Amino acid sequence: MKKFDFYFLAMLAFSSLTGCTDDDVDNPGTGGGEEATSRYIIAATPVASEGVADYLLTASDLTEGSISTTGNGVEQDGTYRYYVTNNNKFFSLLYGQGNPGAVTTYQLDDKGNLVMLSNFQSETVQAFAPVNDDVLMMKISRSADSPVANWYRLDTETSQIVDQGQINTAELAPEGEQAFFSWMTQVGDKVYAPFFTVKGCCSDTFGTAYPDQAWIAVYSYPELELETIIEDDRTSFIGRYFTNGLSVDEAGDAYAFSSGVAATNGVISSTKPSAVTRINSGERKFDETYLFDLEAASGGAYVTNHIYAGNGNFVVTMAEEKTSAYATGNKIAVINVYDETFEWVTGMPSEENILSITTNNYVSEDGTVHIGVTTEESSYVYNINVASATASQGLEVQGGNITAISKLDPIE
Amino acid sequence: MQYTNLPWIFLLCCMLTGTVFSQNQRHISGVVVDSYGVPLNGATVILKELSSGKVTNGQGEFSFFGNFSGPLTIEASFIGFGTHTQSIQNLNTENFPLKIILKESSFELDAVTLSAKSRIQEIEALAFNVEVVNAEELHNTTLDIGHALNRVSGIRIREDGGVGSRMNISMNGFRGNQVKIFVDGIPMENFGSSFQLNNIPINLAKRIEVYKGVVPVGLGADALGGAVNIVTNSFDKNHLDLSYSYGSFNTHRSNLNAGYVSESGFTVQLNTYQNYSDNNYKVKVDVADLNTGQYFPNQNVERFNDVYHNETVIGNIGVVNKSYADRLLFGITLGQNYNEIQTGARQVSVYGDRHSRGNIIMPSFKYQKKNLIEGLDVTLNANYNLGKEEVVDTVHRRYNWFGEFIEYEGPGGELSNRHTEFENNNGIVTASVDYKIDERHSLSVSNVYNMFDRETSNLLNANDDLYAQPQQTNKNIFGAGYQFEEENWSITGFAKNYNQVNIFDQSYNPTGNYGDVAYRRNKDHFNSFGYGFAGTYFFTDDFQVKASFEKSYRLPEPNELYGDGGILFEGNSNLKPESSYNYNLGAGYWIDLYESHLVNIGGNIFYRDSKDFIRPVLNQNQVYQVMDNLSDVTNLGFEAEARYSFKNLFSAGANLTYQNLRNNTQFEGAQTQESVVYRDRIPNIPYLYGNADMAFNFKSPLNTSHPVSIGYNLLYVHSFFLYWPSLGSSKLEVPEQLSHDLNLTYTFGKEQNFQFTLECRNLTDENLYDNFSLQKPGRNFSGKIRYTFK
Repeated sequence: MKKFDFYFLAMLAFSSLTGCTDDDVDNPGTGGGEEATSRYIIAATPVASEGVADYLLTASDLTEGSISTTGNGVEQDGTYRYYVTNNNKFFSLLYGQGNPGAVTTYQLDDKGNLVMLSNFQSETVQAFAPVNDDVLMMKISRSADSPVANWYRLDTETSQIVDQGQINTAELAPEGEQAFFSWMTQVGDKVYAPFFTVKGCCSDTFGTAYPDQAWIAVYSYPELELETIIEDDRTSFIGRYFTNGLSVDEAGDAYAFSSGVAATNGVISSTKPSAVTRINSGERKFDETYLFDLEAASGGAYVTNHIYAGNGNFVVTMAEEKTSAYATGNKIAVINVYDETFEWVTGMPSEENILSITTNNYVSEDGTVHIGVTTEESSYVYNINVASATASQGLEVQGGNITAISKLDPIE
Repeated sequence: MQYTNLPWIFLLCCMLTGTVFSQNQRHISGVVVDSYGVPLNGATVILKELSSGKVTNGQGEFSFFGNFSGPLTIEASFIGFGTHTQSIQNLNTENFPLKIILKESSFELDAVTLSAKSRIQEIEALAFNVEVVNAEELHNTTLDIGHALNRVSGIRIREDGGVGSRMNISMNGFRGNQVKIFVDGIPMENFGSSFQLNNIPINLAKRIEVYKGVVPVGLGADALGGAVNIVTNSFDKNHLDLSYSYGSFNTHRSNLNAGYVSESGFTVQLNTYQNYSDNNYKVKVDVADLNTGQYFPNQNVERFNDVYHNETVIGNIGVVNKSYADRLLFGITLGQNYNEIQTGARQVSVYGDRHSRGNIIMPSFKYQKKNLIEGLDVTLNANYNLGKEEVVDTVHRRYNWFGEFIEYEGPGGELSNRHTEFENNNGIVTASVDYKIDERHSLSVSNVYNMFDRETSNLLNANDDLYAQPQQTNKNIFGAGYQFEEENWSITGFAKNYNQVNIFDQSYNPTGNYGDVAYRRNKDHFNSFGYGFAGTYFFTDDFQVKASFEKSYRLPEPNELYGDGGILFEGNSNLKPESSYNYNLGAGYWIDLYESHLVNIGGNIFYRDSKDFIRPVLNQNQVYQVMDNLSDVTNLGFEAEARYSFKNLFSAGANLTYQNLRNNTQFEGAQTQESVVYRDRIPNIPYLYGNADMAFNFKSPLNTSHPVSIGYNLLYVHSFFLYWPSLGSSKLEVPEQLSHDLNLTYTFGKEQNFQFTLECRNLTDENLYDNFSLQKPGRNFSGKIRYTFK
C-alpha cells in the first residue's frame, strides 16, 4: 500500500464520517413575529439521559400546533432550573444546593423575541415568590448545626438584590426541630410562610416528630420581621418541599393546602387527611369552622399541587398512595372551595399513560388553566376548562418535558 | 487476509496445537551484552545458514527453535556496536545459553537505519493496537505523566486547572475509569490522591504503553476502552538522576531517582519527588458583588485558593538478576498531598477555604522471573494502601472571585459543613504466568484481585452512625489467552471472567415507629465473561495490518459506588457494570527514503458499541458529580499519525483523532416516541483533536560536545458544544483551542551529565478550557536542571 493511498483513504473515511452529521444548527431566533403580541414562555427539558437544562421556547397559542426543542429555543447553562415571573420579567434560577448560581432575567423584545436582560448571582434558594415588585427568595438550612434561613429581596427593576437577612428557624419550631419553609405567599401586605419542622440530623434530616401539625409564620414586608405564628392541628403541614400550599382569592381569604405527607425515618407518619383550610382576610388564625377534606371528597386521593383559577376554583393534582413526601400525582381535578365540590377532570390522558405533570403552570385571564403533561407519546399543554371540568389537548412540545409555562408581554 | 476468518483460524490453531510439531526440535538460546555486561535490548541476531533473524528482548535474550543441524554461524549486531560473528560446530556439545559480547564502535556513528526492532517497536508490532511513548525522551521536560500522555495520538487528558488538579483520561471516546491505568502492570486503582497521573513526574517512567481498545490478558483488569501501562525504570546497575525545576505560579518540582546494585545482585532503589504550586494563574470570569448579586463581567482575576503540594518517597529493597528471580523487591510508598479547592464543578462556584489532604502508606511486593523453567515467565505483585483521605469544609463563608467574603454566624461550610476522614484499606494482588510452548505457541494466564473496605469518620460528629456502616468491594478478574506466532503474522485469543461483590448497608425503619433506624446489609454480586481476538499481519517488513475485537466489561469502582468522601463525587451503589463491543482495524507503514529520511505513517479505525455507559452526571443538587448508567453509545472514528525524521537532526510528527460518539438510546424511559437526541452527538466531549511536534537537534556552536535540542508542540481541539448539538437555536460551546509549547534543552558537563531545559507552555497566552469550561493556565515558563549518572 502506498502512502498516497492511505491518505486518500483517511480523507475518504473522514468525509464519510462527518458527512452524515447535522451539528451545524443555524436556525433563526426563538420564534417571534413582526407584530408585538404577548407570548407564552414554555420551558422544556429534553428527554435525554444526559442532564441538560431546559430550553426556553415561545408560542403565541397554547391550544394547538406543535413546537420542538430541535434547533429551536434558548439554551441555558446548568441542569436544573426553576422559574418565576414578576413585573413582566421571566427569571430563571439555577438550583445548586450550597452553591450560588447565576439567575438569568429574560424579557420579550418589541418583536416578540425572548431576550436576556441580565445575569446576576444568587444563592440557591428553596422558596421564591413575587411580593409586590420584588421576588423574595429564601435559602433554608436543613442542618441542625445551623438552623437558619437566609432571605434575599430581589428588585425586579434592577435585577439586583437590595436587601437580605437571616431568620432563626429553630426558634419557630418545637424544641429539637427547626422550621423549613415550604413556600411563601403574599397575603395583603404581609408575607405568609407556611413551614414544616425537620430534625436536620441523625440520619433523618427531613423527618419530624410533629407530623400532624400545620404552621404559618407571618412576616412584615419588606422588613421580614416575625409578627406571629399561626398554628392548626387539624391538618399536617401546609404545602410541600419546594411547593406552594397557600393561595389568596379575590376576597383576600387565604386557602391552605395540606397533603398530609409528613414523614418520620422515611415513612409517612401523618395521621391527618389531605385537606384545604382557610385563613379569613385580615385574621391571624385558621378558620376553625372550615375544613375541606380532600381525601373524603376524592375517595382517598391526596393533593400534591394546586393552582388558583378564580371564583373559588382550584385545579389540583392528586395522587393515590402516600408513598413519599415528594411524589407528584398524575390525576387532575377541579375543586371549588366555596361549595366544597370536587370533580375529576375528563379529557386527560389515561393515568397510566402519564409520565409526569408540570408543577409550574399558567392561568389565563379567562380562567383557563394550562398544564404541561408528558405522556409516553410526547409532551402537551392541556387546557382545562374549569366550569365543565374538561381538558383538551393543545400545543405539542416535541422531545421535552414541560417544566414551566408562563407568559410575557412585549416591552414597548 | 479475510478478517472475518480470524476466529476460525484461531479455533483451527487450537485444535492443531497438540499434534503438528515434530520431536526433532532444537533450541539455540543466548544473551547479548555490552562490554560491561549490560544486556542489549533490541540487538539483531542472525543464523546465517538459515537466513533467520531474531531481536533480543529487554534482558538481551534471544532464542531459535527449529530442525537445526550444525555447523551454524551466528551473527549479532546492534547500533553503535561492532558486529560479532560466532560459529557453532556441534549443537550437542555447545554450551547454551550463549553469551555474546558486543564491543562499542569506536568510529563516529553516521545515522543508522533502524533495522532491528527496539523494545518500543517490538511492542508496537504486537497484534494489539498499542502505542508506546518513550518516556526517556521527555525526561528533560517538566511534564507529569498526564501531560505526557496528552501528546499521544487519540488521547485527551481533561483537567480542572493547574498543577495537581484532577485529571481525567479520555481515549477514543472512552474516558475516566473506562481506561485503566497500570504501573508496571499493577492496576493503579485507589492509590489515593497522593500518587496519581497529575503528580507523578515523567522521570519515574521508562516508557508508557498505551493500548487502545483491546487490552492483553497480561494486563488483567476490567479495562473497557483501553489501558495505559506506565513502565518504570528498572535499573540493573547504579544510577542517579536528580532534577529540579522552577516555573510560573511559584511552581517547584524536584525529583531524585537513585539506585544501587551490588555485584551479588542486592539492590536498593529510591524515588522521591515533590510538587508545589500556588496555581495563582489568572482566569477571566464574571465576578459577583456579594451583596447585590450584580456581575462584573470579564474580569481578569488571580486564583487565590489553589495551592497544591505533594511529597512522595518510593523505596525498594531486594535482589535483581538471580537464578530464582530477575527481580524480587520489597518496597514502600510513602506520600502526602494538600490540595486547596478553588472551584466547584463549574467556575461560577468559587471557594476560599475548602481543601482536602491525603496520604499514602503502601507496602508492596514485586517478583518477576523469566524462564523459571524453560519458556515459563512468572510475575507476582501485591500492595496494600493504608493511607487516609480527609476533606475539610468548615469555614462558614461565601467568597467571590475578588477573594472578598461574607462571614456567616454559627457552624457551616462553604459548600456543606464537613470534616470527614476515611481509610480505604485497599489491596491488590496480581499474578500472571506466560508459557512459551515453543517458537510459535504461547499461553498466558493472569489474575487480579482487589479488595476495598472503607472506614469513614465524621470528625464533626463522632456519633454519626451513618458513616459507620460498611462499604466494601471485592473484585476478581481472571484471564486466559493463547497466542500463535508465525514469521509474518500472529493471532491471539483470550477470555476473561469478571467477578465483583459489593457489600454495603442501607438504612431503613424496621418497626415504622418514630425514631427507629436500622441498617440492612446489601450484597450485590456480578459475574460475567468477556472474550476477544487480535491478529496482525506483516505484508512486508515495512507494512503491518492489525485487527482486534473484544467483548468487555468495566466494573464500577469503589469511589463510584460509595463516593469520594465529599470532594467531588457522590456515591451510587446501584451502579451497574457497563459492557462494550470493541472493533479495531489499523495499519502502519514505514518508509525508508534515500539518505536517512525516515517516514512512518499509521492509522486506526475503531468502532465501539457500548451499553449501560457509565457517565458522570450532576446530582440532583448540582453540587456533586454522580456516576450513572446512561445512554447506549456507539462510536465510529479514526486516528491517523505521520512521522518524519532525518538522521538524528530533525524530526516532526502529527496526529489527528476524530470520534463520532453518538447517542444510541432510541427510547428514553417509558417513552414510545423516539428520543429527540437519538443519534445525536454526545455533548461536552471533544471529537476532533490532534497534536503536532517538531524537534531540532544540533551541536552548540560554542562547544561542539554540547548538544542542543529545540522542540515545539502544538495541541489542537476543535470547538464542541456543552449540550446536545441538535437542540436550541442559541448554543453554548467550548471554543476551538490551539496551544503552542516550546522547549530548549542544553546538555553539558564532561560526560554530558548536566541538562538545562527552558520551557514555555501556551506561548500565545490563549484561553484554554476543559471540563465544563473550567479555565487552564495562560502562558507560563519553567526551567529545569537535571543531573544524571549511570
